[in-house]
Amino acid sequence: MKGLEFWKNVSIGRYVESDSPVHRLAPATKYLWLLAIMIPVSSSRSAVVVCASALLPLVFAVLARVRIRFLLRGFLPVLPFIALAATFQVFLSWPGDASPVLAAVGPVSLSLREAVAVVMMAVRFAAMMLAIGLFTSVTNEGDTARGVEDLFSPLARIGFPARSLALTIAVAFRFIPIVAGEFESVVKAQAARGADFGTGSRGPIRKAKAYLPLIVPVTVRALERAESLAEAMEARCYGSGPATRYVDSGGVATDAVARIAAIAWIVAAFVAPALIASVS
Amino acid sequence: MAIIGIDSLGYTYPGSSEPALSDISLDIDEGDYVAIVGANGSGKSTLVRCLNGLLQPEPGTVRVAGADPSDPKGRVAARKALSLVFQSPPDQIVASVVEEDVAFGLENLGVPRPEMRERVLEALDRVDLLAERARAPRFLSAGQQQRLAVAGAIAMRPRIVAFDEATSMIDPVGRKDVLALMDDLVASGIAVIHVTHDMDEAARARRVAVLSEGRLVFVGTPAELFASDRLDGLRLGRPRSYAAALRLGIEPIVGEDAAALGARAVRVLGAAITVAVSEKASAGGHATGGDPIALADEAGAAFSLRDASMSYSNGAENQCRAVDCVSMDVPAGTVVALVGKTGSGKSSLLQLLDGLALPDSGSALSFGVDTAGRKADLRTVRMRAPLAVQRPESAIFEPYSGDEVAFGPRNQGLSGERLVERVRAAMDAAGLPFDEYRDKPSRTLSGGRKRRLAIASILSLDPDALLLDEPTSALDPASRDDMLRLIRGYASGGRTVVMSTHSMDEAASADRVAVMRDGRLEAYGPPDFVFGTGWDSSWGIERPFAFELDEALIAGGRA
Repeated sequence: MKGLEFWKNVSIGRYVESDSPVHRLAPATKYLWLLAIMIPVSSSRSAVVVCASALLPLVFAVLARVRIRFLLRGFLPVLPFIALAATFQVFLSWPGDASPVLAAVGPVSLSLREAVAVVMMAVRFAAMMLAIGLFTSVTNEGDTARGVEDLFSPLARIGFPARSLALTIAVAFRFIPIVAGEFESVVKAQAARGADFGTGSRGPIRKAKAYLPLIVPVTVRALERAESLAEAMEARCYGSGPATRYVDSGGVATDAVARIAAIAWIVAAFVAPALIASVS
Repeated sequence: MAIIGIDSLGYTYPGSSEPALSDISLDIDEGDYVAIVGANGSGKSTLVRCLNGLLQPEPGTVRVAGADPSDPKGRVAARKALSLVFQSPPDQIVASVVEEDVAFGLENLGVPRPEMRERVLEALDRVDLLAERARAPRFLSAGQQQRLAVAGAIAMRPRIVAFDEATSMIDPVGRKDVLALMDDLVASGIAVIHVTHDMDEAARARRVAVLSEGRLVFVGTPAELFASDRLDGLRLGRPRSYAAALRLGIEPIVGEDAAALGARAVRVLGAAITVAVSEKASAGGHATGGDPIALADEAGAAFSLRDASMSYSNGAENQCRAVDCVSMDVPAGTVVALVGKTGSGKSSLLQLLDGLALPDSGSALSFGVDTAGRKADLRTVRMRAPLAVQRPESAIFEPYSGDEVAFGPRNQGLSGERLVERVRAAMDAAGLPFDEYRDKPSRTLSGGRKRRLAIASILSLDPDALLLDEPTSALDPASRDDMLRLIRGYASGGRTVVMSTHSMDEAASADRVAVMRDGRLEAYGPPDFVFGTGWDSSWGIERPFAFELDEALIAGGRA
């Protein structure tokens, strides 16, 4: 469709229904592995660990039969930021950088250390985007919420509201298309009355004023619909006592193995470089 | 045995000076079937919310299956005994998978998993959604979503199910299914409370309770209610077959359908009635006559579509064709009713006509302007034939009614005296007299008036045509009549109206009817053609009552 098109029909993430060993993992296991990749690639100082962790999403993608090119597309939006950061690296020098200069144009030079930093940063970003993209393409909305509940279930025993947190996530997912739909309907209603958004208005106040016909009704409608949903949930005895779960997402033996492996990976990612450093 | 006991109940919303309900006393028996009727704002929904503790009545008491819903302990018991089905289908779905949504209430009650599974499947089977159990609810039709809500209610094994205007936002076929489910519940001994505006629906209940301005003004059988001379004073109508029987001059029977009424009329009144109807028919009246409308000259048309197609989410996996190769002309000065099931493409077609959506292929002309043309000024096109989207009142944003109506003409560049004149004319035409309503806060208006304010705010553009998407949906009968009067008044000035509707009785009073199915235009012609010779029952819509009755009368005469 041309004209005013909105993301009403877009689903969150890019979950693709499929049956693979990765899809079959329990959601909490998937979260653990997501952490097992994210933590080392974001905070490990060892290039080897970062690169090894960055390979993991690719291994999982092959196992999950998700096309890597499909995942890389999610990486495109962050490219400008990486380019910007890389530019800063090149223009500003590290204090006391004694590594060999690889290339120099006038006063601007690229040292080996700078080059490594740029590459590492790109690898870290790519790995994170790949891991998140993979997670959303193998985990449906329901599991994304349930996994949080499972992950926090040990804390639930001491009163942590794991189920409420999971439900909040599930409802937030539900509301994205709802709010988008309301937004679309209001934009169309105002456009039919000749509203012209974002053109011809100068200055922040006038600009904000132009959006008033959108913000007020969309907010009101979103709140009304949230209230309706809250009523419906309450009418169905939400919060009336200890709850059970319809879907069993606790996992099987494979999950137990995979979870231990994930935790082992995180531990190893930090312990191994330290060990190697102390030996050498 | 009364399962619900309401004793001198009152309720005042916080911040309001007027009570929403006062002095309501009513008993509902085990297995009863009670309709609660009344105009918008009469307190029907408030009453239902007091029954399960969503609101706490003050003063008065409520007992549901022996429990007091205003007491935190009694509330769970009351909610277990009384399930609610709400008005808006998508707003009561919690989970992202059908069967998980049915299980939501059971999870909250802490039902063990094996039993939960059994009850979920049983409930889904009962509403005929077993095949959809693994699907995402947002891909279900509104009617299916409402059946899903019923499944969630009955999985709780309640003793009462209350439907709060649960049929007002779904198409006729979906509505029929939900009404059949109510009968099914009653047959299995579960009490049903049905809050509705529709007298045909109320007539199905065993008892009717009428609320007016927060007071219970009538409780009795439907027959007693419809025979009552207080009906007009309460701004309530009669069921269609009941009113038709009165017009025919025979004894009305509550719950009779058009076919039964027709057959009975022929028995009672003899062949004379059949002759009269047949004559009307051969003179080009109902039941026969009329021809489909062929494509004519685009020149005299207000709107003109040629092989217009339009899809949502182009290129994505969930791409769908909303409008599929539609060609039609709407001559200036005609009223066209668009009918078809939910999701058949009515809203999308209206957006094509308005220029809010542009065709992917084919062409759409609005008053001679090709909306996809490079030179088309879409803003002018839209303001010449503006669209009122579904529930247009949700787009109201100005605190004061007069300002809201002035938004459009201001965008056209009007100001001063001319602006005031436009706003005055539009508000007067919409039945909201300018002098009285200009400074009324828009949010305090009743539902029906809010809807009319929204229509006034496009009338003030002084358009050559109106495009209305379900302008009468979810309005009570009196507000619906006001709205139809507004539309007729506008059209009587020789201007064009294209409106979608789920009421075939409304469609029958249009000049032309366009039937949509799966994005295609299935039929386009005068009502006599579409609902007469051209009728196809596979369209998934109903026929207007008058056509069904005429057909039954003619059939009765032949027998």
